[in-house]
Amino acid sequence: MPKILLVEDNEMNRDMLSRRLERKGFEVAMATDGRQGVEMAQAAPYDLILMDMSLPEVDGWEATRQIRAAPGTKSVPIIALTAHAMAGDREKAIQAGADDYDTKPIELERLLGKIQALLNRNGRG
Amino acid sequence: MKRAAGRATARAAKPRRAVRPKGDLARRLAALLRLTVEIGAAPDESAICRSVVAGLHEGLGYDFLGLFLVDPATGDRVLKASVGWPDAPENFRLPPGRGLSELPLQNGELHYTPRVARQPRYVPSPNRGSEVDVPIRVDGRTAGVLVVESGTVDAFDQDDFEILTAAANQAGLALARARLLADERRRADEHEALLATMADLSAELELSKLLQATLQRAVTLLGVTGGELAILDDATGELVVVASHRIGKDSTGTRLAPGEGAMGRVAQTREPLIIPKYAEWLGRSGQYADVTVHSVMVAPLLAGQRLVGAIAAVHADPARTFGAADLRLLNMFAPQAAVAIARARLLEAERRRADEQKALLETMADLSGELELSKLLQAMLQRATSLLGVTGGELAIYDEAARELVVVASLNIGIDSAGTRMALGEGAMGRVAQTHEPLIVPSYGAWEGRSAKYTGATDYAVMAAPLLIGSRLVGAMATVHSDPSRRFGADDLRRLNIFAPQAAVAIENARLYTAAQRQQRYFEDLVSNSPVAIVVLDRDHCIVSCNPAFETLFGYAQPEAVGRDLDELISTEATRAEAVGYTQHVLDRGPVHGMGRRRRKDETLVDVEILGVPVVVDGELVGLMGLYHDISELLKARRDAEAANTAKSQFLAHMSHELRTPLNAIIGYSEMVEEEVADVGHPELAPDLQKIRSAGRHLLALINDILDLSKIEAGKLELFVETFDVRDTIRDVSTTIRPLVEKNGNRLEIRCGEGLGAMHSDLIKVRQTLLNLLSNACKFTDHGTVTLTAAREANGDGAAWMVFSVADTGIGMTPEQMAKLFAAFSQADASTARRYGGTGLGLAITRRFCQMMGGDVQVASETGKGSTFTVRLPASLEAAAPTAS
Repeated sequence: MPKILLVEDNEMNRDMLSRRLERKGFEVAMATDGRQGVEMAQAAPYDLILMDMSLPEVDGWEATRQIRAAPGTKSVPIIALTAHAMAGDREKAIQAGADDYDTKPIELERLLGKIQALLNRNGRG
Repeated sequence: MKRAAGRATARAAKPRRAVRPKGDLARRLAALLRLTVEIGAAPDESAICRSVVAGLHEGLGYDFLGLFLVDPATGDRVLKASVGWPDAPENFRLPPGRGLSELPLQNGELHYTPRVARQPRYVPSPNRGSEVDVPIRVDGRTAGVLVVESGTVDAFDQDDFEILTAAANQAGLALARARLLADERRRADEHEALLATMADLSAELELSKLLQATLQRAVTLLGVTGGELAILDDATGELVVVASHRIGKDSTGTRLAPGEGAMGRVAQTREPLIIPKYAEWLGRSGQYADVTVHSVMVAPLLAGQRLVGAIAAVHADPARTFGAADLRLLNMFAPQAAVAIARARLLEAERRRADEQKALLETMADLSGELELSKLLQAMLQRATSLLGVTGGELAIYDEAARELVVVASLNIGIDSAGTRMALGEGAMGRVAQTHEPLIVPSYGAWEGRSAKYTGATDYAVMAAPLLIGSRLVGAMATVHSDPSRRFGADDLRRLNIFAPQAAVAIENARLYTAAQRQQRYFEDLVSNSPVAIVVLDRDHCIVSCNPAFETLFGYAQPEAVGRDLDELISTEATRAEAVGYTQHVLDRGPVHGMGRRRRKDETLVDVEILGVPVVVDGELVGLMGLYHDISELLKARRDAEAANTAKSQFLAHMSHELRTPLNAIIGYSEMVEEEVADVGHPELAPDLQKIRSAGRHLLALINDILDLSKIEAGKLELFVETFDVRDTIRDVSTTIRPLVEKNGNRLEIRCGEGLGAMHSDLIKVRQTLLNLLSNACKFTDHGTVTLTAAREANGDGAAWMVFSVADTGIGMTPEQMAKLFAAFSQADASTARRYGGTGLGLAITRRFCQMMGGDVQVASETGKGSTFTVRLPASLEAAAPTAS
């Protein structure tokens, strides 16, 4: 069962997405800001990280860079969740080290496709 | 041997040889021969006479003797040589009727008077004895008398008579020969004099000098007291005395009618005339009543058949008379002088024409400096009167509208006629304006064509001419002589004819100038009253003039501004380069339109709209004109509006984000519950949940569009330029749109042109543009065809453009609907939104996207037949200059 770390500050989004992913058979851990996300990523191994970009404390881009920079977590797949049509968000996410991106609001099927693709690339799932 | 000679006496009872030595015949013949030789050697008349007397006295012993020659003019005997007559000087004259020596003249024979004292005509001399008078015959006529006297009564005999007759004959022959020689010499002299005269005449081309010289020459040549020269005035047929020399008065300027006086007579008869006693001559002119002239000789001056004048020579001395020789001389001289005068007159006329032309040109040059019409006209009239030597004149211009002449200038005509209006045909000027021909009226007061408006004017001779440009009448001119003795002739007409066209052109120029000036004043008023600041610069960027609005706007009075460099005057350091650039651009390339900030005199700044235009006069760039419109208020309003708009956009962006977060939750939870209801056995709830989700998604789309638009308007949306394959993009878009195509039973056709290649632009925005247009097409088309066409084109300057078009067979649009198609929140009408859905922002966003990428979108549509949207984008965004701001 793939383990996903969901870094999302909005409680309802966090609750909704985690429950939908669990129903699809993922084990979901949750962080509510960027700093916590980085700590959790380093504390335990995850198959994939879903990273919101607009986070308190440390934002999603910075958190992504830190995860990429740490030897233990540098190869964990990261999908950036960006706000709709925010010019530059997407590019900034890719530049920060995200493997893929998806826009909110989440269309579950599309997101699942991207998750599956990255897990397959890493030989998991 | 003694013989009584003549009628006087035949008595010979006297002592012989009482007064002279006697010799033998041989000795006497030898003496006579010597005398003959001496006489033959004598060079002239006086020498011959002296030789005869001396030879008779010295060789033959006669002690009292004299030789008289007859003066042909008077008949006087003039003593040429004498011996033993101490009281008789040379040139002593014996008039007819006196002296015994006249007797041989009467019958041509020797006359012997043995006893002189008894003869009444005897002129007493100391000898008082006898006298022999021997005729001297020259060319068959008795031309003189040899007189031999003796104190003794009857002292001469036949021998004496023979000797004296032989001597007289020799003297006659010698005198005849001498006269022949003298004539020859005189002819030669005359010829020489004529040659000299001609040389002088041709050198003296100035007519008046020539005429004076001619007269002087004639007076000298003829040996007369004085004379007169007159030339013919072709216009009037009168002779005009042009040179006068010592005739008792200065007659220069006298005009003689044909036949009047001596010169008038010869001008008429063309024959020379000698008047021995002028004072008694019946044909004399009253104009010569006071001259001190005794005799007159006059000849016509004829150049070929043409009369050019007359010449008169006068003797004041009653003793002098004119003879055939004088006439011959005058006849020789006159034709030569006439030809020379005629030639000189021609030359003079040519020169006068040249002078007149020059004077006219000067006139015109002067007048052209005087372009103000009224002044010009007055100046022109003054010039014309002095040029034509007339008393005064009038000038009228033609009022085309009223078909009348209006007198505009008047000079010395007895009344002030300025302002007088005359119909065509009325008066002299009206007449010439009608006929287009000049006119001379010898006496205006007696002329049947005179105008009643001129009854108060002095009685005068008038010459009038139309002023024409080509055949177009611009006015008329009249000149007058108030002096009754002055008349107008061909020369005046010729001069007027030269002057008139020039005057016409000058008037026309002045008229045009006046019109141009009026127009200039009109424009000056416009400029001066313009609310826009206007400044005129020369080519060195220096201010030539400025209008009051400029003074107000920038605070500089015109005197302060003129001469200053505009850009130094009103630009700041920050805007100097831009201002100079504008100025130079106008001078080098043409009009410029821009905006900028300029400095006032008080150092405050003002935002201005700037328009610069070159000033070109007659094809020459002389400077430029700058127009400044104060747009401070406008710019402030615009900046305020822009700030308000930005604030609005920021507010909307913020609001959208804040709205989206809860909306995400609504959509997400409804989807999640929808997934769960089937699992938990309540499938009947699914449709309601679907409605919640659908409404949520619509709201989200709306919010997203608002966010997009506000970001665009807030300038926060950026381009992310990458290189992508156009065909791949088309394929991707068609896949994405397919569900929407099928929803209304439509068919999608893709037409890709050859060689679409790659685009270097913002892929996301290109995709969204195409998706927007395709989804619109699908939305408004039911069971029809939606066609997506893509092609690569090259425009005029070689840049490649991508042209996408989306055509549908849907409901189409009216022109009114199309007009507001691209405005935000504007679907064709309110009901459209209800029927077809959509946010009404899609096309507004699409257009902005296209503009951001350097292109645009256009639409063509027809109600009921469908619409075609065409997007043109630069194939490479970096190659094409982005025009979106």
